[in-house]
Amino acid sequence: MRREKHLTMAVIGISLAVFTAARAANRSGVGKWKAVEVVLPANDADEACLGRPIALALDADHLYIVDAQDCAVKVFSKDGKFLRSVGRKGRGPGELSFPSGVSVIGGRLFVADKFNYRVQAFDRAGEPCGGFPVPFAPDKVWVLTGETLLVTSSPTGRTAAEKMLHLYDFGGRFRWEGLEARASSDPVFDAFVNMILVCPGEGGDFFVVFRSGERSILRFTASGALVGKIPVDERHAFQPLDLPFRGPKKRLLGFCWAAAWDRGLFYISAPAPVEGKDLGPGRRLSVVDRQGRLTASLELPCPVHRFVVEGTRLYAVDDDGGLRIFEVVR
Amino acid sequence: MKKLAVLALAGLVLVSAALFFPTSLAAHDVNECYKNHQDCRVNALNLDAPWYKVMLILTVCDIALGKCALNL
Repeated sequence: MRREKHLTMAVIGISLAVFTAARAANRSGVGKWKAVEVVLPANDADEACLGRPIALALDADHLYIVDAQDCAVKVFSKDGKFLRSVGRKGRGPGELSFPSGVSVIGGRLFVADKFNYRVQAFDRAGEPCGGFPVPFAPDKVWVLTGETLLVTSSPTGRTAAEKMLHLYDFGGRFRWEGLEARASSDPVFDAFVNMILVCPGEGGDFFVVFRSGERSILRFTASGALVGKIPVDERHAFQPLDLPFRGPKKRLLGFCWAAAWDRGLFYISAPAPVEGKDLGPGRRLSVVDRQGRLTASLELPCPVHRFVVEGTRLYAVDDDGGLRIFEVVR
Repeated sequence: MKKLAVLALAGLVLVSAALFFPTSLAAHDVNECYKNHQDCRVNALNLDAPWYKVMLILTVCDIALGKCALNL
């Protein structure tokens, strides 16, 4: 009898030890990646200066940065050497007014030409080669497949049930729209809860990440069907911020400042406290797999506003609007 | 005499109205106000600034919309 009791105790003890070890192993499975800065070549041309860089895109050979202030897309080599500028301020063909997004396929650039209410296309030589008007101020544009473009918009708050995602073909024919903006009696608060980031995935699929209040990443197909919700590991924590919106203070739960997707991994930068009571861009990135599990954390030497990732390279825009390139060491 | 006073007062009211509201509300393009408001919001949201600052700018956009719509 006594022996049986000891045996039971031993089994419970071993089980507990195994469980604790498994949990510890799971937690320690989070890698700590490092970022080593790549020295950029001297870009002496005035055009190489970035006034207000707000979007980045990559293709096989180039890095494209949208400069909303200069109304141009600046083209760099992957080593950071400035090559040329595409577009200029204006309303005509080849001219841009507050460009805010860019995507590239086969050397053809698609630019979200925000205040001209259109998507404009440029060829390899930087000459305008088409485009189409849209009935909203386009925010970002993404080539999903060889013939489908995703255009995002910020809700105006003027009409009910505004959609934030819009699909068009390259000729500008409307195909689908969805993801209804959340609306309340406070348009300022709504502006924050409706801030989204899009990461194009594989095979035309794309992901939507909310910048605050929501820790699930939405997955859509190229036709606009919502096919999944990926709950992100809670170790990528919310950053709360109390803001005095109309009436009593409301709490925003900052989730993500910027995000990128590359080779099956999400790179999500956490907002960081700024000047005591504000939230701004952070320097810590969570690397999350397609199931939402935290795979690694990556600490950058400076806060970054926007970034794109390709393999071990991370291209980012820092606080001063400068281009920074990092080599990620795993 | 009473009739004259009433007429004079009515005339005064009409003249005052004409002086204080010289522009017709129809001539004032409220749609332009909304367009400017939307541009203001878009600018604020694309600043990529810390969120407290963005909130303040969005609030200023709303106040500007109110002023513009009321033609103040």
